[in-house]
Amino acid sequence: MKWVTWEGVGVDRMACAWLLRRSVDPAAEFLFVPAGHTPLPAGAEPFDIPGTRLAHHGGHCSFHTLLAVYDIADPVLHHIARLVDEADVVQEVALEPAAPGLDLLCRGLRLISPDDATALERGMVLYDALYAACQDTDGVADPAPSGVPPAEQHSPVGGR
Amino acid sequence: MATWLLLIYKMPRDPSAPRVHIWRKLKQLGAVMLQDAVWVLPATAWTREQFQWLAAEIAETPGEALLWEAAVLPPTQESRLIAQFTAAIEGRYQALLTALQQPAANLPLLAVQYQHLQRQDYFHIPLGPQVRAALLAAREGATA
Repeated sequence: MKWVTWEGVGVDRMACAWLLRRSVDPAAEFLFVPAGHTPLPAGAEPFDIPGTRLAHHGGHCSFHTLLAVYDIADPVLHHIARLVDEADVVQEVALEPAAPGLDLLCRGLRLISPDDATALERGMVLYDALYAACQDTDGVADPAPSGVPPAEQHSPVGGR
Repeated sequence: MATWLLLIYKMPRDPSAPRVHIWRKLKQLGAVMLQDAVWVLPATAWTREQFQWLAAEIAETPGEALLWEAAVLPPTQESRLIAQFTAAIEGRYQALLTALQQPAANLPLLAVQYQHLQRQDYFHIPLGPQVRAALLAAREGATA
């Protein structure tokens, strides 16, 4: 189906588009309108547009809203939601050191992309990478099942 | 002449928690209160987006918010407004410098405060780089 958002995508909209493709609508097609433009195109679901359903709510980013609306429980995605929250909205207490960096990278991605559609596509790789990294670091907190440190598991057998 | 964003809002007196929450967010953004519930920020892509979401949040609480983009006509008025922004930041940078000179200054805490302040320093006052240099020097001193 079709999804519509404002032009000039950044950290939250790149995250939302990635999540929509990944968990909601693998065939998602994205449309863009200038900020503040009305009416929104018929037959497309708006996201991250102020005043719409799939936007910021209760001071949290739109990515957060998508997780709630589509009832997605994956803890790694909830970690990414906290990151996007801190990257996108000014917070008094910051707990995610990577958040400002994520914001910067997303802004840079838009700057080096010829248009919003390309920026969203490039953002997909960034969020795939973020997901993998969060999954990896979040997993470190759990006790290793075998008690063998990962470095040892990966070391080549019989090497040097 | 700069472009300014004006956020004007109305929220119920009770409960007070949402009002306090919005007020704190405005302070975090480094916005200046012109009058009760009339706040101003220089217009950038980032401040525009922040104010837009804040206006949406106020409307949800429930409340009413009007967001304006405006130009200040008399030049003296504009320089006074800019001075209001820079004076607020300058005072806070100065407090950081003072705290840095204390024996056993809490460097990690001051570094976080500096990063917060830097985001609100919309007019890039010269004291900013000085605070940064002082923090770097203190860091070198701490690790030496």
